[in-house]
Amino acid sequence: MPELRKDPIIKRWVIIATERAKRPNDFKPSAPQFTKEEPCPFCEKKGKSNFTEILTRKENNTQPDKPGWKVKVVTGDSPVLHSEGDLDKKPHGIYDMMDGIGAHEIVIETPEHIASMDSLKPEQIEEVLGVYKERILDLERDERFKYVLVFKNHKTAAGSSSVMHSRSQLIALPACPKNVKGELEGAKRYYDYKDRCVYCDMLAQEEKEKKRVILDAGGFVAIAPFASRFPFETWILPRKHAAYFSKISSKEIKGLAKMLKEILTRRNNLLSDVAYNYILHTAPFRRPKPGYWSTIDCDYHWHIEIIPRLTQVAGFEWGTGFYINPMPPEDAAKFLREGKE
Amino acid sequence: MGEFRLDPITARWVIISNEKSLGPKDYKVENPDIRGEVCPFCEGNEKLTPPEVDADRPTGTEPDTPGWITRTVPNKYPILENESNLDKAGRGIFDMMNGVGQHEVIIESPDHNKQLADLSIEQIIKVINVYKKRSIELSRDERFKYVLIFKNYGLSAGASLEHSHTQLISLPIVPKRVMEEFKCVQDYYAYKERCILCDIVRQEDEYRHREVFDNKDFIAFCPFASRSPFEISIIPRKHKAYFTDITDSEIESFAKILKDTLTRIKKVLGNPPYNFIIHNNSVNGENIECYHWHVELMPKLSKIAGFEWGTGFYINPTPPELASRYLREVK
Repeated sequence: MPELRKDPIIKRWVIIATERAKRPNDFKPSAPQFTKEEPCPFCEKKGKSNFTEILTRKENNTQPDKPGWKVKVVTGDSPVLHSEGDLDKKPHGIYDMMDGIGAHEIVIETPEHIASMDSLKPEQIEEVLGVYKERILDLERDERFKYVLVFKNHKTAAGSSSVMHSRSQLIALPACPKNVKGELEGAKRYYDYKDRCVYCDMLAQEEKEKKRVILDAGGFVAIAPFASRFPFETWILPRKHAAYFSKISSKEIKGLAKMLKEILTRRNNLLSDVAYNYILHTAPFRRPKPGYWSTIDCDYHWHIEIIPRLTQVAGFEWGTGFYINPMPPEDAAKFLREGKE
Repeated sequence: MGEFRLDPITARWVIISNEKSLGPKDYKVENPDIRGEVCPFCEGNEKLTPPEVDADRPTGTEPDTPGWITRTVPNKYPILENESNLDKAGRGIFDMMNGVGQHEVIIESPDHNKQLADLSIEQIIKVINVYKKRSIELSRDERFKYVLIFKNYGLSAGASLEHSHTQLISLPIVPKRVMEEFKCVQDYYAYKERCILCDIVRQEDEYRHREVFDNKDFIAFCPFASRSPFEISIIPRKHKAYFTDITDSEIESFAKILKDTLTRIKKVLGNPPYNFIIHNNSVNGENIECYHWHVELMPKLSKIAGFEWGTGFYINPTPPELASRYLREVK
C-alpha cells in the first residue's frame, strides 16, 4: 500500500510508492549526457574570456583575468536579467508585470577542468562556500533585491549546459520566490503554534528515530526527509539554529564543506554520477515593509537540498503539485549511510 | 531586458525573455517515440491489461475482447490503490495516511499509430465523453476530493507507453496546485465580484496577440505568464465551474479546438513530447462555485533546473506573443 506523507513545512503531500523500484540500480538515468569538447570557457588555461570578473579568490599576487586563482565569480550569460534600472512595476490589462531586474553570476569552483564538485579537495569547497557568503552579503546591499538563490545544476539532465566544469550559480531577485515564501509561511505557522523551530524539531525527531539520518558530523546533519519528493533526495541542515546562511562561521564552513563532499561522493558511488541539482535555502533579505514579520530569525532554519534527477516530472506533478517517489526515504538513507550498493 | 510577469491565477512570477527570444527551431525537440515490445493497449492484447472498467464497444461484444472504440482500464502500476481506509496518523511531528485513490488509463483508440492529434473529431468526441463519464463515476466515492485528468505524451514528458492514452486519478485530498488556484480565484472574486478566468477570456479576446485559435465555445491562447515555451491555455468561453457539466455541443467544440491546437504544436515544433492537464473543480464538498475549469497544455522543450526548483519561478525564453504568432500562422 502506497503511503501519503505530508511535508510538515510546506504542506505538500508526497506519495511514497513502496511497491515500485527499490534499489539504486533500478533507476535509469533520465536523459543522455551531452558533452561538448570545445575549449572550456571556465578553464584557467583559456586566454581570453567573454565573462566579466566580479570576484576572484586567488593565490598571492596574481592579476585579474590572469592565471593563479582558486575560485572566480563571473557575470552569467542570462539574457533576461539586467542589473541596471528600476523595476518599473506596471499593469497590462488585468495582468501585472515589472522589468527583469536581477543579477546572474557564475561561481567557477576550480581553475582546473574538473567536472564534479565531489572531486574537489575540502579546502577548495570551503573557498567556494566562502564565496557564496561573500556574494550574498554584497548583493544584499542592493536595495532592489529581496533574495539571492544559490544553486547548482550538475549535468545536462539537470539543466546544465554541456560544459563539464564544476560551477554553481547565484541569481539575485527583486521578489521573494514563491517556494521560499511557502517555506517561510509553513515555518512561521509552526512557530506561532509551538514557539519552536520546525526544522529544529525535525532534527530532534530524526536523531531519535535514526532511520532517515545519513550522516551526522561537524555540526551538520544529512537526512533523507520524511516526505522526500525524489528518490535519494537529501537535506543538509546545520545542527545549530540559524536563519541566514550568510552568518555562517569559518568553523562551520569547514564542517559543511566536509559534509557536502562526503554526501556528493556517496551519491556518485551509489548512483554512478547521476545528474543532480542542489539548492541553498536561506532566509530572504530584511526589507522592512508593512506586514513584514519579525520572528524570521526564530522560525526559519537555513539548509541545503540535493535532488538527484532520477524521475520525470509529468502531468500528475504539474497538475497537483504533489510528487510520486518510488524510493522510501528510510531505504534511501540506508543506502547512503552505507555508501555503496 | 527581460520581463517579470505575474500569473494571476497562481501568483507565480515568470521571467520572459523578449530580447534574445527563441523560436521553434532553437529547441532541441526530443523524439517522443518509445519502442516497447508487445503493446498492451493494442486491439487483440486486451488480456495484457487489468479487466476493463469501461469501454465503448458494439453491443454483443464481450468485455476485454477486440472490437472496441475506446477502453478504460485500471493502471497496472497504480500510484494509488483503491482499497482500505485513509488511516490518517501522526508520527512525531510528521503526518501521513494510506495511499488511497483510483488510477485509470483511458486508451483513446485501438490504433497504435495514431496520436490524439491524428484521431478524427468523432473519435476525440468519444474520448472526451469518456473523460466526463469516468470523472463522474470516480467522484461518486465520497472519500475522494479531486479527480485529475492528465496526459503524458512522449518519454521525457513521463509516458512509458507509446499507444495514445490519458490517465485519470482520484485523490483523497485537494492538490496543492489546485488549492493555490482556488485561493487566487476566490481572492479575485471577493475583490471584483467577477471570475478571473472570464476576465482573462475577455481580455485575450480583445487583445488577440496571444491567441492561437478559437471557436464558439472555447479560446486557445498562450498565457501572459507562460512558464514554458509554447504553453497553451484552452478556456471555455462560458463560465462553468465543473468540467463534468460540459454539454454535447461543447464537447464537439472542445474536440475541435484540441485537435486543432495539438496539430499546430506538431507542425510548428515537430512532434514534441507534451503534458496536458484538465484543471477541474474539486468534488465532494471541497468545491468552489466561482472556479472556471480549463486546460493547460505544455510542450516539453526546456528543463527544470536548480532555479525553478529553488524559486518556483520560471524562465521562459519564448515570449507568448511570439509563440502564439508561430502557432497562429502555421498552415
